[in-house]
This record gives sequence, structure tokens and C-alpha cells, in this order.
Amino acid sequence: MSILTYNGGVVIAMKGKECVAIAADRRLGVQGQLICTNFNRIFEMGPNLYLGLPGLATDTATVAQRLKFRLNLYELRENRRIRPKTFSAVVSNLLYERRFGPYFVEPVIAGLDPKTNEPYICNMDLIGCPNEPEDFVVCGTCVEQAYGMCESLWEPNLEPDDLFETISQALVNAFDRDALSGWGGIVYIIEKDKVTVKELKTRMD
Amino acid sequence: MAVEFDGGVVIGADSRTTTGAYIANRVTDKLTRITDHIYCCRSGSAADTQAIADIVAYQLSFYEMELEEPPSVKTAASVFREFCYSYRDSLTAGIICAGWDKRDGGQVYCIPLGGMLVRQPFTIGGSGSTYVYGFVDANYKPDFDKEACVNFVSNTLALAMSRDGSSGGVIRLGIITKDGIERRVIKGKEVPRFFEG
Repeated sequence: MSILTYNGGVVIAMKGKECVAIAADRRLGVQGQLICTNFNRIFEMGPNLYLGLPGLATDTATVAQRLKFRLNLYELRENRRIRPKTFSAVVSNLLYERRFGPYFVEPVIAGLDPKTNEPYICNMDLIGCPNEPEDFVVCGTCVEQAYGMCESLWEPNLEPDDLFETISQALVNAFDRDALSGWGGIVYIIEKDKVTVKELKTRMD
Repeated sequence: MAVEFDGGVVIGADSRTTTGAYIANRVTDKLTRITDHIYCCRSGSAADTQAIADIVAYQLSFYEMELEEPPSVKTAASVFREFCYSYRDSLTAGIICAGWDKRDGGQVYCIPLGGMLVRQPFTIGGSGSTYVYGFVDANYKPDFDKEACVNFVSNTLALAMSRDGSSGGVIRLGIITKDGIERRVIKGKEVPRFFEG
């Protein structure tokens, strides 16, 4: 069994019209066994900047904490909010520092630029190679299923409400075909003036 | 799992088949007909158990023709055991053989991995069974009637499906009596829900 599939989990992020959405499942397991159904793998890194960390749960917690530390120092030095693209570079650097003994997480970043409010999404492999597409990103134990769902459901310029529906359906139908993800879902819709969090009621098997 | 009651047996199973972590089939039927009154619950390798069940069903239909009476559950379970024990090094098959016959009524026989055969009032098997041994031991009563057995099986399976990643989907039930099998499916909102954190 791969270390990246030990705890299970999946995160998806999508771009919409002047908004982004990031969603994840809530399962924490130990291989086949469920441990809890309220595990958080999405972290707020700024008012309009969210980071999802699927992968080994202990590294999810550690990387989130270490990144927050670097982010705080950045904001103290620069006296401004970090831009999502810059934050991506910080994450990438943190992961590549551990090139030969990596953190077993594959980050997903979603946010709006603090000045221009332009949507930004990014995902990386466990050693920090960034991928910045124009549509959607997925990471976790059911990437193949999630790619299939996103590719068929996503279309450009979705309004926040439509984006919520789209990302929810993509997430739920992807993790319902994965034995290691699921047991609830959580979706963050990030718009320029507010962030909406919604919990999804899903099948719990 | 399978549970005996006065007049027959209740058998039940989940409906998930996985290839690694991918759920290849989420509506599998793991309750396989051997004869009209004898069914088996399959766990372990799907290929192994399907092959064994096919061979046993074939051998028993031959038996029925020769002896001109339906085979007993004990006979069916013995045939399973012969196979599973003889090829124990090559197979991964955990089988529960349950049914009704005229001589002994409802019977449940458990044939786990090495090929032993034992009759039990009820038995559980499969990867999800490890999570519910405590529940079944605490909640089983020997004087369950048919509907009490159905509730017992449904609740047990629901709990296992909730905890085990390799179990899930719908609950498939079979109630076998002298009149044959009555099949039920419990899906969606009707599946019992317990503490979910």
C-alpha cells in the first residue's frame, strides 16, 4: 500500500466567474478502517486563500502548520496579504526543501488575488511541482474518478451557485467510487466579498 | 452473514466489490443460489468464490437428479468444504452456506479460509465482519423470529458498511424458508444509520 493512500482523502478545486471553489471529503481512515468523519484537510491561509492537503494525515497537519508560520512571517515583513501565485511558490519551496525525504501531501490551492480578484487554482505533486490550469485541479486517492467527473461537468464562467452544484456533484460521484474517500463532504465557495462553507450530506459507506 | 430462525434462515451481504481501492461494482449480488433452498454468501476473491459456487451448484444439481430429492444444507456445505480444503493453498474463499431443508430446518454453516466446516446459529464473515463481532455477540438472541432476524442482519451490515472501506453499497437480504427465497434490498435512506461523528 502506498504511503499516499494510507489515510485516504480527496480535494478538488474549480474556477468560476469571479469565484473559486475548493471541496474535500471528510474521511480519516487507517487503510480500510474508518477512524473519523470530520477530518479537516482544507485550511484557510488568508481571507480569500484556501489550501487543501490530501495525503498522509500527519503531514497534512504538519505542512499546514509550517506553511502558516511562513505565511505569518511574510505578512509581517511585507505588511500586506500574500497573492495566491506567490503563496504557490512558497508551498513549492517548502516541499522541494524535502526533495529526498518528502512530505506525503499533494497540495491544492484555491484563491482570489487580493488586488484584482482574479481566480487562481493550483495543484502540486509531493515535491512541489506546480500545475496552474484554467479549469480545475484534483488530488487524492480517487484522482482518476475525479478527473472524469470534472472533465464532464465543468464549463467556464460558472456563477457561484452553479459552481457549488458542479463541484459538489464532481466530488461526491468521484469519491463514491473510491473505498478510501468519502463519508461526508465540505465545500468552500470563495467570492470577492464572502466565503460560503457548506457541508454535504452524502452516503456514509 | 447468516442467521438461523425457526422455519428458515436470513442471509445478508453488502454490495461492494473493489479492485484495490477502486469500487468496481457497487451493486454486486453476493448471495448466490446453489439450489432453490440453499444459498451461499461469498467473501474473499470474487473469482475464486464464483468458480467454487458454480462447481458446487453443478455437483448438487447432479446429486438431486440421482437421488431424486433435494440435497440437504449439510451436504451442500460439505461439498463446499471438500473443495475449499483440498485447494486451500490456492484459494482465498470465505463462504457461508445457509438454507432450509426438510430434515433439519434452517441451518447456517461457516466455511472460512482454511476449509473447516462448522454449523453455527449465526455467523459473520468478510473484511467488515471484524468491526461487528462485539455488536453481534451483544445483540443476538436465540429466539429471534423472522423479522427480528432481518433487523439484526440489517443493523449489523449497516454498521460494518459504515466502518469498513471495502464494504458498502446496498444491503441485500434473503429469507429462505420451505417456500423458497424471499429477496429484499435496503438502499439509500432506509439503510440504518448510527453514530457518525
